[in-house]
Amino acid sequence: MPEIAQVLSPGDVRLRVEATSKRHLISEIAATSARTFGLDQAAVVTALTERERLGSTGVGHGVALPHARLPGVSRLLGLFWHLATPIEFDAIDDEPVDLVFVLLVPDDAETMHLKTLAKIARRLRDRELRNRLRQFEDPKAAWRALVGDPSVEAAA
Amino acid sequence: MLEAMSLAILIGAGLITVSVFTSVAAFRIGAPLLLVFLGIGLLAGEDGPGGIPFDDAPTAYFVGSLALAIILFDSGFHTRIGTIRAAAGPAVVLATLGVLLTALFVGAAAHVIMGIGWLEGFLLGAIVGSTDAAAVFFLLRVGGITIRERVRSTLEVESGSNDPMAIFLTVAVLELIVDGASLEALTWGLGQAFVEQMGIGLLAGVVGGFSIVLIVNRLNLEQGLYPIVVMSLALCLFSATLKLGGSGFLAAYVAGLVAGNRRLRAAAQLRRFQNGMTWLCQIGMFLILGLLATPSQFPAIAPEAIGVALFLILLGRPLAVWLCLLPFGFSRHETAFIAYVGLRGAVSILLAIFPILAGLGLAQTFFDTAFIIVLVSLLVQGWGIRPLARWLGLIVPPRVGPVDRIELELPGRGNHELVAYRVVADCPVLKGARIPRWARPSLIVRGGQSMGLHKAGRMQANDLVFIFIAPERVRLLDRLFASPKELESSDQEFYGTFALQPSAAMGDVAHAYGFEAKPGDENTPLAEVLQRELGGQVEVGDRVFYVRVEFIVRRIEGDVIAEVGLAIEPGPAELPIFPTWRDLRATLRRLLRLRPQKSKRKGTPPLAETYERARKATAAEVDDTGPQRLPTVGRGSDEP
Repeated sequence: MPEIAQVLSPGDVRLRVEATSKRHLISEIAATSARTFGLDQAAVVTALTERERLGSTGVGHGVALPHARLPGVSRLLGLFWHLATPIEFDAIDDEPVDLVFVLLVPDDAETMHLKTLAKIARRLRDRELRNRLRQFEDPKAAWRALVGDPSVEAAA
Repeated sequence: MLEAMSLAILIGAGLITVSVFTSVAAFRIGAPLLLVFLGIGLLAGEDGPGGIPFDDAPTAYFVGSLALAIILFDSGFHTRIGTIRAAAGPAVVLATLGVLLTALFVGAAAHVIMGIGWLEGFLLGAIVGSTDAAAVFFLLRVGGITIRERVRSTLEVESGSNDPMAIFLTVAVLELIVDGASLEALTWGLGQAFVEQMGIGLLAGVVGGFSIVLIVNRLNLEQGLYPIVVMSLALCLFSATLKLGGSGFLAAYVAGLVAGNRRLRAAAQLRRFQNGMTWLCQIGMFLILGLLATPSQFPAIAPEAIGVALFLILLGRPLAVWLCLLPFGFSRHETAFIAYVGLRGAVSILLAIFPILAGLGLAQTFFDTAFIIVLVSLLVQGWGIRPLARWLGLIVPPRVGPVDRIELELPGRGNHELVAYRVVADCPVLKGARIPRWARPSLIVRGGQSMGLHKAGRMQANDLVFIFIAPERVRLLDRLFASPKELESSDQEFYGTFALQPSAAMGDVAHAYGFEAKPGDENTPLAEVLQRELGGQVEVGDRVFYVRVEFIVRRIEGDVIAEVGLAIEPGPAELPIFPTWRDLRATLRRLLRLRPQKSKRKGTPPLAETYERARKATAAEVDDTGPQRLPTVGRGSDEP
């Protein structure tokens, strides 16, 4: 099972992202994935929007985990953003969301990606980690904290 | 004479006072309270420091029966009809067949362990055949935890209604032993007597219950007399039913059930009074039974008695429960919990007096053995309930925080109630949630001053709000006045990580998660699929494996699933014991599938080959029909 570090590269962590709404956030995510992963921007918007229509991926405590299966994705792709201002996300606890972990999944991945999703969800259940993620100035530091490898974190 | 009387009162009242005081400590440490009362009775008795010589079995029996009738009436009175509806089937089977099976199993074990005759063994089994309503009720509610509804209802109704069966069996078997009847006569006579006793008891209970309601609602009495008249009517019913040859205890329970679920004048007052009476009866019954026992005789039979008790706890009850619950679709976890919560109590000790009264040779042994079995059961099963419920994932995490609510009774007959809520900081009402139209706020008390709504304006924290409301809707208001509840990570495990729309089409969900919906389900709403897979009875926390993922019922409104959770982490692991009906059918099908393959070949195939084929067939079965569990997250590569 892929580690968070294998899904998320340091360069895909962005802090203080400006997003005004859930829709705006999804289109920003699509634009970024088109740029960095070479995906079809419209397809990403459609896939993420369709998943949100089944039920919000906001899991509470200001965390959202938008995820979708996409053709043309060869491995699990992750993005982590901290939003400058929390946005409404219809989350489970009705709290606005400011920590967003996106997971894009290969079309043929069946349910394997759920385990990675579970791992990310469990990692972000850590209240202390969430608070720290909201403080970081340096994306690399945020990445190290998120990946949660103590040796990497200490070395930095 | 006068001195003897004052001494008797002093002893009786003193013991009750001590018991009540001790209960405070017992609540705090979560000890089975009844064990404490029993212990005080033992200590006060002839072998304890109290040294009270009490061996008047008829008196103990009289007091115990009277107390039990009151307790059963009250436990029926407090059982909501909704609880009965949720659990009637399994509970009734447990309360009849379950008691019989337990008695048979324990009888066989007693025959082997104690070396007594089959009939005598069966008598002992019947004596300890029923579970104790007070012990079960108390332990299921201690500490404000909420056990899943169907399990809790089943246990409560079972424990409230299985005493008549145990009493019936005990009396019947005892008569057989005393009269020396043959075994053929036993089965026939038993069946006939059962129908007669239970039939009359049930009928008398229903008629009596409605009569009590009628009388109380017609009569204009001094307020304080209502509880007295209800209690005396219940006892009249109890004794009249006994006289008619029916089960008086069943009649008392059923009458309580009927009366408690009808609109009854002064119902709140009745409930409070009966609550107190039940406590008094519990304490009295346990004290007197503790006094009656002679613990210095215990060591002689202790090893055998403990052996029978452990058999009852570990094998007898679980086996009986499993067999009884097979047709009802309980999960392995639920069956395990119900099997465990089979606490024995005062009724068993009370029934153990029967042989003494009948002058049976082995009577004292029976009494001591039953007493030890009850002690062991209260000790072993009483302590473990909470951790077990937690471990089995049967505790429903609260969705709202604590609520500060007072209910007030109103005179007159309208269908309304006055409740007072303390407005706590950050509760939804202060955040702008609207009070529904069916609730009428009428008065606000702020800083010791009462004011009308218009004068008070917006509600503030610490206000006391008085609201008129139909009694059945009170619970719906709680959410508005509850203090905010933090989501905990264990809640996510119970409710699932993501919430899905119940109206979402299963085909879309399947598409999003890369599996195929079952044929015909593509356009079916999620809620409907779950409702179907769960077979009608739906409860918050129910989990359904569907092809490759696990769905959880998060919220129910009325009878409809209003929110569905998607579990991306596996629930608690399946137990290796208590296979469900579905499991058994799958095993059977697997075995049947093997047979034709075998017959194609001539001669007997080598053992290894057969084994290999069976293994493959098993794998195939799991692959195409059984939804697969997700492997545990965080194993293997997660390790540093």
